[in-house]
Amino acid sequence: MKWVSKDMDMYLGAKEYVDTVVLPLLPISFGDDLKQTASMTEFISLLTIPLERQFKGRLMMLPGYTYLKSDSDDSRLQVIKHWETEFKKSGFKHMIYITSDSGWRTIEDKCEGTVIWLPSLPLENMDEKYRNSILEDQIGQLIHLFVKKWQNND
Amino acid sequence: MSKQRVTRRQFLNYTLTGVGGFMAAGMLMPMVRFAVDPVLKHNAAGDYVVTKQKIDEITNEPVRVDFSFEQKDAWYTSEVTNTAWVYKDENGEIVALSPVCKHLGCTVDWNTDATHPEHFFCPCHNGLYTKDGVNVPGTPPAAPLDVYPYKDVDGYLALGKAEPRKGA
Ligand code: FES
Repeated sequence: MKWVSKDMDMYLGAKEYVDTVVLPLLPISFGDDLKQTASMTEFISLLTIPLERQFKGRLMMLPGYTYLKSDSDDSRLQVIKHWETEFKKSGFKHMIYITSDSGWRTIEDKCEGTVIWLPSLPLENMDEKYRNSILEDQIGQLIHLFVKKWQNND
Repeated sequence: MSKQRVTRRQFLNYTLTGVGGFMAAGMLMPMVRFAVDPVLKHNAAGDYVVTKQKIDEITNEPVRVDFSFEQKDAWYTSEVTNTAWVYKDENGEIVALSPVCKHLGCTVDWNTDATHPEHFFCPCHNGLYTKDGVNVPGTPPAAPLDVYPYKDVDGYLALGKAEPRKGA
């Protein structure tokens, strides 16, 4: 489900079935990597739509956590810790972050949830057909990852 | 002989009422139209969308058919992609099922659960449906998958709006 009031009605009525929360991690920068962070954010946001659709009844897709690319590892980690406390309190068993920002790779071990890192692709230069097939491929992999995670129950 | 002369005051009264009424109508009409419009639009959504699937290429094995169309939500138009599972049943009749799980709305897949081959499987809470889309009792879904009405448009499959069926 998405973070919209209509879906929350569904969530409130079926909480026990929704055990997974997904938080996209979206970097923003106004410096040299302005364009790069924009395309990371764009790429991840594009992927979240079909992912949510696929698993509507089991996962809660949150609007992303946007942060400044210049934020230190520690400060970002602290925010994630805060989220995680709240997630666990709300009964979520699986906490998943998806991002294109490689800055999370160094701290992913310190997060309790799983960081899924996907390198962002230069979608703007692709023609639509190619772009869609690439996106479909990425979504397929993501779906597979989620199913596996649930099967292994980790 | 009564002289029905129109006084200056009467004349102004008549013309102003006339013009004022005209202006009021001019303002009200679009508002009424605006209020009624969504109701009228709704019928248009029942239209069929032609897919890329050729009818004579449909086999007994369910395949995914994606189709996109423009959807108007109030003032906002967006492109929506829908999916159908399409196959021919044993009588050669085309069946087009909605992939939306009747439990909580995940997307079901054909033949992906190793322990239940030849079933539609929902990975979210292990919902199962037989090939005809009927839910398997004992799994979470309480109703069969919705069915799309279909049409043959020059040899291509056209799908309407998916409709619910009675539970198993
Ligand atoms: S959403 Fe399909 S079984 Fe729950």
